[in-house]
Amino acid sequence: MGATFREAMSWLHTWSGVVLGGLLFAIFWMGTLSVFDREIDRWMMPDTRLALPAAPAPLDRIVDRIADVVPEDARRWDIRPPSEREPMLWFRYQTAEGDRIVRYLDPATGSFLADQGTLAGTRFIFPFHFNLNLSWNRIGIWLVGLAGMAMLALLVSGVVIHRKIFVDFFTFRPNKKLPRSSLDLHNLTGVLALPFHFAITLSGLIIFFTIYFPTVISTVYEGDRRAFSRDAFGIFHRDVSGQAGTLGSLDGMTAEAVRRWNGETPYYIRIWHPDDANAYVAMWHNIENKVSLSRDVLYFDGATGAVLHSHTAKPVLSVQRFIAGLHFIQFEHWILRWLYFVLGLSGCVMIATGYIYWLETRRKRHAAQGLAGVRIVEGLTVGGVTGILIATLAFFVSNRLLPLGAAFAGYERAALEVWTFYLVWLATFAHAWARPGRAWREQCGTVAGLAVLAVVLNAATTGDHLIRSLAHRHLWPVAGMDLLLLAGAAVAALTALHLARRRIAARRPAQNVLKAAE
Amino acid sequence: MTGWLLLVGILTAAYLGFALLALTQARSWQRVSQTPPPANIRALGLRTLGSRTLGGLALVLSLVLCLVRDGPGFGALLWATSISIAAAAVAFTLTWGPGLLRPMAVMMTVKNRPRTR
Repeated sequence: MGATFREAMSWLHTWSGVVLGGLLFAIFWMGTLSVFDREIDRWMMPDTRLALPAAPAPLDRIVDRIADVVPEDARRWDIRPPSEREPMLWFRYQTAEGDRIVRYLDPATGSFLADQGTLAGTRFIFPFHFNLNLSWNRIGIWLVGLAGMAMLALLVSGVVIHRKIFVDFFTFRPNKKLPRSSLDLHNLTGVLALPFHFAITLSGLIIFFTIYFPTVISTVYEGDRRAFSRDAFGIFHRDVSGQAGTLGSLDGMTAEAVRRWNGETPYYIRIWHPDDANAYVAMWHNIENKVSLSRDVLYFDGATGAVLHSHTAKPVLSVQRFIAGLHFIQFEHWILRWLYFVLGLSGCVMIATGYIYWLETRRKRHAAQGLAGVRIVEGLTVGGVTGILIATLAFFVSNRLLPLGAAFAGYERAALEVWTFYLVWLATFAHAWARPGRAWREQCGTVAGLAVLAVVLNAATTGDHLIRSLAHRHLWPVAGMDLLLLAGAAVAALTALHLARRRIAARRPAQNVLKAAE
Repeated sequence: MTGWLLLVGILTAAYLGFALLALTQARSWQRVSQTPPPANIRALGLRTLGSRTLGGLALVLSLVLCLVRDGPGFGALLWATSISIAAAAVAFTLTWGPGLLRPMAVMMTVKNRPRTR
């Protein structure tokens, strides 16, 4: 550690960046994709590429269909009515054993759609963003929390160690040597998008305040989670009676909610023990038109439809909900959605260029001193940056190659896609360490190839090629994904080409020297 | 339609604001006009201060347009995100097409010409 404050901050920035940068890249990449998680869902679940019906089937008809299929002892039903980004009706139930099963229904007819056999964007990419899909002892959430804290420290220390923050404010010199140009890009993406990076990281930590800062619950509420949930989120609870009951009209309850909310509709409906006499229904106020992820909710008695409990967030929680809302972007605002996507990508660029700067400023010295640092970190960087892109694309490609209902070695289709992701990701690390010097170029080439392949396979297996998807409004999510894949392929191909040229240019002088020696 | 016009206004105001701020820096000035910066830029003269104030006002204007377009919640978010994009656009203009900002530099020079002589 250095003597001055700036040197100390530099030490902190370098080490936390090198150690946690790979994890941060994965979180930023998956978070950036999560901005379009529903659109990825449409791409990966072709049967749900539906047009939003003018007159959706009544909820009571849907409840009848559900009751025919779902076991009677199900603990809980969750329903999300169709919306612009999710045109089908989303339904999930929890079995008596606690398993959660998701099904989709056609919103116009109320009939079940075939199981799409994929976790897609909302159930693989999105949870990866905040818990790395490691649910054991919440280790994933804690790792992401640690990375988030490190990110805040990296942003602050980065500003402190930046030598000429105002002079270099608009500076990018791609024609300078690699250490300089990568540092320029690192500074540019870091400084210009600093408000976004800071707000998105801090809000990400605040979302999980009940996990990361549990003192409120443990001291004020003496560990009584249910009491805390009741005060903060207005969670209502009623035990099972054990006697059979009949569920009343959900359409009637919706009408009452719409009346109380001055025309606003519920966006999420939950029914506890639907077949019990003590069944009760919660309807959450829709959040399309505001930043805040508010949890204003109405509880109804399942049998009679009488209102049991109504909750509106108190001031402190309103602030927390606003912060959560600006992170989750569950609202309908396409311009902000795209801005978040671009700024998320800028975060990915910031992390990747930080690594490249670290590598390029140490490469010669480590080689001269016989240190393995650069080699190890370069493998981590290649696998962590281009590797996760390749793994993500392999996830998409496997989705279009595996037939519905496919199973292998006891694993179902959705699990096979996930295995493809992890195995391919692992392979990219092996490749990066096995072929230093070539790994960047070869992996960029692979990214380009896989992205084009994904677009071709989508057209071949679903018939929704770009001409068709651009022509139909309800297929725009698919068109958007195809276009982004093609744009990504172009960038990756140009990068691979650039790296190949640079390699040839770097070799030439050495060959000339050899020839001269002969 | 008004929404789209306002969006164009927000991005233009933010872009021009950052471009003005950038041109008060010697290095950016040199890239754009291919001439050494006028003395008052180097010495942070009154005209430079004027350009910076104008640049700042353009950013405030883009904030106002954001609030008009989307209200306080979405407006604040829209401003905080779109100014990053506008600043990056200025940086990339300076890298790949500095000539595009020459008219602005010329206008600043005209204003900066001494009155006597």
